[in-house]
Amino acid sequence: MNFRRHRAILLAYLGMIVLLLLTSVVAPGFLSATHLRSTAVLAAFIGIVALGQTFVIIGGGIDLSVPWVLNCAAVLMTLLAGSQNAPLVWIMPLLLAAGALVGMVNGLGVALFGVPPIIMTLAVNVILQGGILVYTGGAPTSTAPQAIQFLAVGRILGFPVILILWIALAVIATVLLSKTAFGRHLYAVGTSATVAEFSGVPTLRTTVLAYTLSGFTAALAGMLLTGYTAQAYLGMGDPYLFTSIAAVAIGGASILGGSGHYIGTIAGALVLTILTGLLPALNLSSGALLIVYGVVILITVSLASEAISSLFAFLPRFGRRQSPSA
Amino acid sequence: MTDLLTAAAVTKSYGGITALSRADFSARAGEVHALLGENGAGKSTFIQILAGAVRPDGGQVHLAGSLYRPRNPQAAQDAGISPVFQELSLIPDLTVEQNIWFRREPLSVARTVRARALREATEALFARHQFPTIRPDQELRRLTLADRQLVEIAKALSSDPKVLILDEATSALGPRETDWLLGLSQGLARAGTLVIYISHRLGEVRQIADRITVFRNGATVAAYDTKAVDDETIIADMLGRRMDRLYPERKPTATERVAVRLRGFGVGHRLDGIDLDLREGEVLGVAGMQGHGQRELFQALFGIGGARGSVEIWGKTKTIRGPRQALTGRDGLALVPEDRRNHGLLLSRSVRENLTLSVISRFTRFGITDPKREGKLVDEMISALKIKAGTPEQLAGTLSGGNQQKVIFGKMLLTEARILLLYDPTRGIDVGTKGEIFQLMRDLAAKGYAILFYSSDLAELVHVADRVAVLRNGRLAAILEGDDNSERQILRAAMIETRAA
Repeated sequence: MNFRRHRAILLAYLGMIVLLLLTSVVAPGFLSATHLRSTAVLAAFIGIVALGQTFVIIGGGIDLSVPWVLNCAAVLMTLLAGSQNAPLVWIMPLLLAAGALVGMVNGLGVALFGVPPIIMTLAVNVILQGGILVYTGGAPTSTAPQAIQFLAVGRILGFPVILILWIALAVIATVLLSKTAFGRHLYAVGTSATVAEFSGVPTLRTTVLAYTLSGFTAALAGMLLTGYTAQAYLGMGDPYLFTSIAAVAIGGASILGGSGHYIGTIAGALVLTILTGLLPALNLSSGALLIVYGVVILITVSLASEAISSLFAFLPRFGRRQSPSA
Repeated sequence: MTDLLTAAAVTKSYGGITALSRADFSARAGEVHALLGENGAGKSTFIQILAGAVRPDGGQVHLAGSLYRPRNPQAAQDAGISPVFQELSLIPDLTVEQNIWFRREPLSVARTVRARALREATEALFARHQFPTIRPDQELRRLTLADRQLVEIAKALSSDPKVLILDEATSALGPRETDWLLGLSQGLARAGTLVIYISHRLGEVRQIADRITVFRNGATVAAYDTKAVDDETIIADMLGRRMDRLYPERKPTATERVAVRLRGFGVGHRLDGIDLDLREGEVLGVAGMQGHGQRELFQALFGIGGARGSVEIWGKTKTIRGPRQALTGRDGLALVPEDRRNHGLLLSRSVRENLTLSVISRFTRFGITDPKREGKLVDEMISALKIKAGTPEQLAGTLSGGNQQKVIFGKMLLTEARILLLYDPTRGIDVGTKGEIFQLMRDLAAKGYAILFYSSDLAELVHVADRVAVLRNGRLAAILEGDDNSERQILRAAMIETRAA
C-alpha cells in the first residue's frame, strides 16, 4: 500500500476514529458494543446505497435517482409480498433486476445519448416518484415480511446479518475496483473519457455497468431498509441522496471522477452515521441539528478533497491552475 | 550596449527537487535569444520565474537596469514581459478576440464590453503582425491546436511587450505558420524587442537566433553567438556528452507485403481520393501544411470520424468504426495521438496503469488481474524504452514530456499491433529522446512493423521516413522517395498547385 496514494482514504478512517473518541467524550456509553453495533447497522444502509454511487462517481458521473429507486423497491416489495415470506423468492430478484434496469437506462442516457448525468438521473428520479405515487395513490402499504426483517435486523451467532451482507458486498466491490478490467476501465473513463476511448477502453459498456450497479444497490438497500423500519413509506429514500454522495466524497473520491475507492466510502458511511448519533447528544433543536449536520459534512468533504489536491500541490504544472499570461 | 534582461545565480527547488541550481542569463534588446536544453533542464522554471508565475528561491533578475521581482503574472506583464507558454492558457468557451483581450477589454461607460472596439483592436493586431487567417469571433474550442497557439501568440503580442518569450511555440504549428512566426520574431527583434526563443529544433534556432544560452540540469552551461558555434557543440552542451547522431541509419527494410492499402479513402470534405500503400517494414512519412488532411487521415484509420473508400489491413478488407476495432492485437493498428495530454495519457494515473490500459486482458485470468504478470509487462516496457520514472507507480503527469511520450509508445507497443500510426511523435520533446524515438522507429520497421509517420518538422520526415506522402487540400499531391525526399521537394508539393513527378 502506497501511503501517498491512499492518503485520502486513510484520512477518512482517521477522521472516523477522532469522531468516535469525540463522541465518547460528549456521550459516555457511545463506545459500548451495543451502540457501536447499531451505528454499524445504520451505516450499512448508507454504505450499500453508496456502493453503486461510488462506482458511478469514480466513472465521472453521479446518480441522483437513488432515492426513488430505493423507495420504489421498498414500496413494491411490501405491496407484492403482502407480508408473506414465500413470494420474496421471486420478488427480490425481480426488484433487484428492475433496479438494475433503471440504472441501465440512466447509463445509456448518459453514455449513449450524451445527457448530462445530473439531468438524466434527476429526471429518472422524478419519473419514478411520480410513477409510484400514481400506482399506490399515496396509500400506506402492509408491513414488511419477516424474512426481510431478519436480513435487516436479525443476527447470526450474535452478529448482525446485514453487516455480514455489507462485508460481502464490500469484498465484491473491492475486487471489482482493484482486480478486474472493469475496475481499471472505470478509473480510466472517470479520469478522461477521451483518453479511455483512444486507448480502446469499452467506455459505453463501462459507464452503463456502473449505473446499473447503482440501480441494483439502491433497490437492495430499499428492501433491506423496509426490513429495518418494518414498513415502506413514501419519502424513505430521500435522505440517501445526500448521504450516498457525501459518503463517497468523505471517503476520498474526487466528485469529478477518476479517483476514490469503496474502502474509503465505508469510512464515509460510518462517519456520517456517527455524526447523526453525536449531534442529538448536543441537545440541539432538530432545525439547528440539520444546520450543524450540513456544515460538518461540508467541512469534512472539503477537507477530504483538499487531501487529494495537496497530492499535486508540489508540482507547479499540475497544481492549482496557473494563469501564466493573464 | 547594456543588457535588457540579466539573471544571476537564480535558484529554485520544489520540495526536495532542484529545478534550477544556478541559472545565469543575459540578453539584449533587439535580439532573438535562444534558450536551449533538454526537457527537465530548467528552461520552463526559468521562464515561469520571468513570467511572474513562480518565485525564485535565490539569485537576482534585472530588467532594464533595475531589480525585477514580479509578484504575479500580471506584474510581469505590466513590466513588459509576455510569455507564450506551451501549456495553453486560453479559455475554450470564449471567442478568439475575447481571449486575446481577456480582462483588458475596451469598456463603455456602463462597464460593458464595446464589441466593435474589441473587433477593431483584434483586426488591427492581426493586420500589424500579418497573422494567418483566424476569425476573431470563433469560439476557441473550435480551433485546431495550431490556431490556438496563434491566438496565444496574439494575446502575448497585444500588450506590446518589451520581452516576448516563445516556449516551443512552433511545435504545434505547420510549416507555413512556423515560417511566419520565425519572420515575426526577427521583425520584432529588429524593432527593439527582446525575443527569448525556446525550441527543440536547432534548424529554427540557427535561422533566427543571434545568441544562444544552454541550460543543463538546472544550470547555465554555455552561452554563445549563434554564428560562432556548430550544431555538434550545442548538442554536446545540452546533453553533457557527445551524441553520435540524431537520425539513425536508414536501411531499407520494406517487404512486398502490404500492411495498409487505401483506395479512394476520404473523410468528409477534408480528405478525398487517397490511394496509398503502407508496406511491412516501411516508415511512410506523411507531410502537408497544417490542416490539409493529415489529422483526418490518421484519425480515420484509427476509427475516429467516419471514412469512405476501401481499407485493406494485411490483405483483408476492414471497416474500423472506433479505436476498439483498430486495437485488435497483432493484426491491428495503434495510434500515438497528436494531443498527448488530452488523448494519449491519463495524467493523474500511474505510469503502470497508463502502459497497460489497452492490454488488461493480457494479464487477466478468470476475470481477475494478475499484478505479477502486469508488473512484468510494465518493467519490460520501462527498460526497453528507457522510461525515466522513479517507480512504475509515479503519476504520468509528473514525467517530462519526452518520458510521457515514451509511455504512450509503450502503451501502443504492448498492444502488439504491427501497424503504428505516429502523429507528430516528437513534438515538444528534447533532442536526446527524439534520437531514441527515431532509432526505435527504425528498429521496429526492421522487425516488420509498418509505420505511418506524420511530423510537423520536415527534417524528420526527410531523415527517418523511407518515402513521404505529401497531402495538399486533402488530396495526395506526391509521393517522394530517394533524392526527391527533401525538405525542398516536400514544400513544393505541399504548396504548389502542380502535381510533382
